[in-house]
Amino acid sequence: MKIVNNINIQKWFAVALVSTALFTSSCKKSFLDVPPQGQQPAVQFWKTQDDATKGVNAIYGNLRTWGNVAFPALVIESVASDEADKGSTPTDATFWNLYDNFTVTSTEGSLQGFWDAQYQNINLCNQVLDNVPAISMDASLKTRYLAEAKFVRAYSYFRLVRAYGDVPLRLKVPAGTSEYNIPRTPKATVYAQIEQDLTDAAAVLPQAYGSTDIGRATKGAALGMHAKVAMYQKKWADVLAYTNQVMGLGYSLFPDFYQSFRTTHNNNSESVFEVQAEILPGNPVATNSQYSQVQGVPGIPAGGWGFNVPSDVIAAAYEPGDARIIGTMLFRGSTTPDGDVIPTTTPNPRYNMKSYVPFSLYNSAYNSGAQQHIRVLRFADILLMNAEAANELGNSTQALSSLNRVRARARGTNTAILADVTATDATTIRAAVYKERQLELAMESDRYFDVIRQGRAAEVFGPKGWKANKNEVWPIPQTEIDRSGNLLTQNPGY
Amino acid sequence: MKQIFTKFSVLTFLCLLFMNAVSAQNITVKGTVTDGQDKTSIPAVSVMVKGTTVGTQTDANGKYAISVPANGTLVFTYIGYNTQEVAVNNQTTINAALASSSQQLDQVVVVGYGTQRKIDVTGSVASVKGEDISKQASTNAVGALQGKVAGVSIVNSGQPGKAPTVTIRGTGTIYGQTGVLYVVDGVWYDDINFLNPADIANISILKDASSQSIYGIRAANGVVLVTTTRGKKGDPTINYNGSIGIQSVTNAVKMANASEYATAVNESYKILNQPPLFPSTNLGEGTDWYKQILRNAMVTNHQVSINGATEKSSYNFSLGYLNQDGIVKKNNYKRYTARLSNDFQIFPGLKIGYNVTGVSSVSRDAPTSIFRDMYTAAPVIPVFNADGSYGDPSKLNLGNGPTSNPQATLDFFNQRNAKYKVTGNVFAELKFAKHFTFKTSAGGDFAQEENRTYTPKYYATASQNTTVSILGIDRIETRNWILENTLTYDNKWGDHNLTLLVGQTAQRYKSYTLNGTAQNVPYSTDGDLYLSLGDAATRLIKDSGSLNTADSYFGRANYSFKNKYLLNASIRADAASQFFGGSDLWGYFPSVGGGWVITNEDFMKDQKIFTNLKLRGSWGKVGNAGVPINPTTLSIDQGAGLIAFFNGQPYTGASVTTIVPPALFWERSAGTDIGLEMGFLNNRLSIEADYYSRKTEQAIFDIPVLGSLGTSNGKIIGNQADFRNRGFELAATWSDKTAGGLAYSISGNVGMNNNKVLNVTSGDNPIYAGGGGLVNAVIPTRTITGSPIGEFYGYKVSGIFQTPAQVAASAQPNARPGDFIYVDQNGDGKIDGKDRVSLGNPNPKYTYGVNTNFAYKNFDLTVDIQGVAGVDVYNGNLGARFGNENYTKKLYDNRWTGPGSTNTYPSANLAGGDNIQANSFYVESGAYIRLRNIQLGYTFPQALMSKWKVQKLRVFANAQNAVNLFGYRGFSPEVGGTPTNAGVDINVYPLFATYNLGINLTF
Repeated sequence: MKIVNNINIQKWFAVALVSTALFTSSCKKSFLDVPPQGQQPAVQFWKTQDDATKGVNAIYGNLRTWGNVAFPALVIESVASDEADKGSTPTDATFWNLYDNFTVTSTEGSLQGFWDAQYQNINLCNQVLDNVPAISMDASLKTRYLAEAKFVRAYSYFRLVRAYGDVPLRLKVPAGTSEYNIPRTPKATVYAQIEQDLTDAAAVLPQAYGSTDIGRATKGAALGMHAKVAMYQKKWADVLAYTNQVMGLGYSLFPDFYQSFRTTHNNNSESVFEVQAEILPGNPVATNSQYSQVQGVPGIPAGGWGFNVPSDVIAAAYEPGDARIIGTMLFRGSTTPDGDVIPTTTPNPRYNMKSYVPFSLYNSAYNSGAQQHIRVLRFADILLMNAEAANELGNSTQALSSLNRVRARARGTNTAILADVTATDATTIRAAVYKERQLELAMESDRYFDVIRQGRAAEVFGPKGWKANKNEVWPIPQTEIDRSGNLLTQNPGY
Repeated sequence: MKQIFTKFSVLTFLCLLFMNAVSAQNITVKGTVTDGQDKTSIPAVSVMVKGTTVGTQTDANGKYAISVPANGTLVFTYIGYNTQEVAVNNQTTINAALASSSQQLDQVVVVGYGTQRKIDVTGSVASVKGEDISKQASTNAVGALQGKVAGVSIVNSGQPGKAPTVTIRGTGTIYGQTGVLYVVDGVWYDDINFLNPADIANISILKDASSQSIYGIRAANGVVLVTTTRGKKGDPTINYNGSIGIQSVTNAVKMANASEYATAVNESYKILNQPPLFPSTNLGEGTDWYKQILRNAMVTNHQVSINGATEKSSYNFSLGYLNQDGIVKKNNYKRYTARLSNDFQIFPGLKIGYNVTGVSSVSRDAPTSIFRDMYTAAPVIPVFNADGSYGDPSKLNLGNGPTSNPQATLDFFNQRNAKYKVTGNVFAELKFAKHFTFKTSAGGDFAQEENRTYTPKYYATASQNTTVSILGIDRIETRNWILENTLTYDNKWGDHNLTLLVGQTAQRYKSYTLNGTAQNVPYSTDGDLYLSLGDAATRLIKDSGSLNTADSYFGRANYSFKNKYLLNASIRADAASQFFGGSDLWGYFPSVGGGWVITNEDFMKDQKIFTNLKLRGSWGKVGNAGVPINPTTLSIDQGAGLIAFFNGQPYTGASVTTIVPPALFWERSAGTDIGLEMGFLNNRLSIEADYYSRKTEQAIFDIPVLGSLGTSNGKIIGNQADFRNRGFELAATWSDKTAGGLAYSISGNVGMNNNKVLNVTSGDNPIYAGGGGLVNAVIPTRTITGSPIGEFYGYKVSGIFQTPAQVAASAQPNARPGDFIYVDQNGDGKIDGKDRVSLGNPNPKYTYGVNTNFAYKNFDLTVDIQGVAGVDVYNGNLGARFGNENYTKKLYDNRWTGPGSTNTYPSANLAGGDNIQANSFYVESGAYIRLRNIQLGYTFPQALMSKWKVQKLRVFANAQNAVNLFGYRGFSPEVGGTPTNAGVDINVYPLFATYNLGINLTF
């Protein structure tokens, strides 16, 4: 009997185990259908007004990235000019010298870094421009969002076209692999598209925003940017028209030049467009701007890395007493107006004051100076563009009026310096405007491309190694050419 | 009828046992098992009562005791010996002398989902006995395998508690899980750090594709099967293994002292036309940072196990304790393990059991950057100033290079990592209808990890200070399970031997990570370290997780005819959740193998040369599902970097910042193995040689995409590469015993592997990697068609510029005398990225080991030597410079000091110009040869021991890594790294030797 029992138990076990096996395999379908964890599928996005808002916010958020504001941007747009030197210790990040002395070749990494950053901005704009139109939402808000995206796309293409000349022009998110690889579009076509975007943007964007939206692109920003883009193409009538419009929008020069760059005066009356950056408590990833850090005073806790420093040329360019000296340069061994003592032992004689954040605001949990906004377009620039365009069009009165407004603010109460320019011949006024742009916009990444578009690069940068018919643009990044299977061509001379 | 009767009687007998627990029929038989040839005792011989599952094993002295029916028969089985049967016939003492098996017929190896006679194996499987691992007094079972098995490359990190990197026959996959699969008693793991080395009975390494393919989905990098110790029949045995050791840095790199450093810095400033930094260079020795931060560190290891078994059940219970100090001060790792396994023979034919391991570890971590900090720190900086403050490099204006005082780095670093894990399985095994075995097993792995980092508010130096304290806590939970059912049919009739297996597996892997940070958390005790004590506004919570499931079916047939002709075939089908919804949900992984035991042929009968000669060949496919979930699903990026600020306030940003491929397929690799096994001189000499070639097709790879696509990561995943590992392995063992009583074995193994990328969809465009940790995005590795994965590349140095005239005439107009001269490969008159070429291979071409054992009377000696050759290392430490980092003494002594001084070493201005670019000066041979383990043991005489009721007492002294020979100019040529970025030495744990004293005690 016992044996029989045992055999029965054996059978029973066998049946139980086999059915377990069958059971586990029978629920296979749902078992393998696992959704992505912690990732929202894109097909669920771009459905609501809230999605549109987030998509547009992302465009602004991305303007703080390393490639947009730090090393790649500073080597491409600043250090090659006569106003800036590499900085830091001689052996630190020597690739900066390749830009400073025009020996850079196509394989240098920052060429790709700057390129990528601009196209990342453009992708975020195209995502909005492709997807938001179909969203059912507040119609006027939708129109504004599309205009904001167009503004940033235009700004990014402007940075690209200045740096590289002809570039691939992407106005849509690629629909498939067949649209991944596209050739360079002629510079003129890119400029035309930039102008179209800015025209569209200016027609829609508001003159100002309510308190929860300060920092978004405005009508003034679109018009001002359009003026600058027109200036690079010598479309003087357009420059004059757009700057005149901006001058009617209520902007004014901030009285204290030094203070106008401090965080206490973000988005001030002079600001036409600036990149918004803040310390977000507890969130170092959102507090990601390294604009100030890479230019900060090295060797002190609240400082930085000490790159992109004002050169002897710019230091010698100011009249003594010019408010812009202290507003532009932070001197070794000095004390800042905010009371910070700069040691005498720092490796460089000067640092960029326009990126300076007072040490009392330093918090070691974040990149130092991460809260510094970047002044992209100031009303002073609008005035100087206005002056230059008026002069080129023969209106010396308006030219001098705008030019001297800028000088007056720099002069302050010191009547002994920076006398009004009174010349009436176009050549003298042109030279005066050029000079004023140098002084007013120093260390704001304007000078390098400004001198090139003025046609004076061989004269001004020639001693540093700049060569005509080559250095008007930087090389196309070699890795990008390689990845395109040589569909992309290289710029002449590289 | 007879068979039925036998079964009847045994069952009846066992049923009686069930009820009465004691059988009056049984007698206890004792005895000793010896080698028939040399008369030495043999431990661990299986002693079974014939026709039952009752049995025991011989102890360390070859002795056994077993309760057996007076009319029963004992079966003695041991690997390498012929099985012997002895009828009991009321004898109470039965000594057995086993004859060495001429054909290793009975040697059994563990293979996927079962065991196989060694002779029947047609793939390449290496077996390592547990005692070979446990006797090394190693802190990690896998690390102890280094040099033991041909073709298995192991890189030990040195960091306490960190698992070694194991590569079997070259890099098998690039993406996802690039490590081997460990299967412990049927449960799958990514590492076996949780196992106490003493709990391991056997490790089987499946090296060829045909052996691995039964684990299809996860087999692409090889499979390591671990069998744990189970209770042995007989009286309870208590084992204690303990050792205490000291770890000491070997092969330290000598750095420049203060005077030398100041001299070199002044020289580099002079080259750069700067005034000297140091007014006087007569600064003496200065600070030896390595001496300041490193120490001789203790390691203590205790393992206790109790095991035993009755006829109906067996048990094995073990406890382990490891306390290892790191060679960096304050660094400590403690691990507690507990393991319990039970088997119950419910009735003949049905066995159930379980294994469960609990492990807890606590690590006080070393700062991750400390090795780099020590290397770069200026010797002119005092540890502390006279006033007690930290020596501050910024006070001497040393610039962006050596900004840290390593002592401050260490003092203000507080990171504690605690891990808890419970893992194991329950199983039932049913033998029925004579030939069938059904086994079901459910395994689980439940782990929790807490990583806590606290940085206080402090001021040490200008670059080492904080204005707020920060507390970060990560909690990682893992919940995995695996369910397996297998049915085996095993039959032997006439000349035929057949085993069939079918099986099914379901698996689920889930992990979840919660990360929180807060600022201004006060600290007086660890009890303060709660996020809720920090500033409310700064508290940040993040989380992430993963979930994978897989469903699999497999089958295998093993057939042998006359023990001469062997045929094995298997197939596995896997469906993985990663591919759900795609066109390629199922992956199929077949294998086939054949063998010919030539010595069993009639025509070989009279030859005297070979004791064993076997030719085998196999082919198989394996897969890799290590890709993100639903890799073709585009998802939203809501990263904090996309947060926008308006009027100072944050607003969430989200968008699409990546691209995905339209389809993704299983990565499959197919491999062939041809092997020859030879035994000579009655198997005193055995040789095993293998040739293999494995091609990984449609390897899942990230390839870079056009920057103008505007993605945030610049890459796209896809099936975009094919690569191949091809090589040759040779293993030989000689074992013998001299007339004088010296028993010894000497085995050597060598593996040669060639790794080559056959095709990348990015065409001739390299996939670059390796920028991490090096300055200014210097990228020293690339993966490109026709080269090994992750080869080093950069400029070829042809010499050193001696004069300004030489510079002026060169392709490097910005160079200075003392700088590297780079070869203008394309002859375009300038040096740029297009002049970079292959500089070396981080994948070792040769791995080898020599393992020896000697036993004479009560003494035993083990000497293991191991090494690699044909491999390169990128000396990132030397080349990564911002400026005034310290110099190695070697560089200082050999540096260029003026025209004609040297054409090999650069000037002190090493950080200047293009000297920091990846170049051939920094690529060095990574070959080394090492005295991996030397151990001398003494076993106390039996006579003495029995008085103390001790079965065995052995004391030993050993040294691990005591001698390391290599030409590499860094701390250790064992660098490791991910497949596309391996061998870049930037922050490697220095090599250290461990000297242990230990005892093995058995009651």
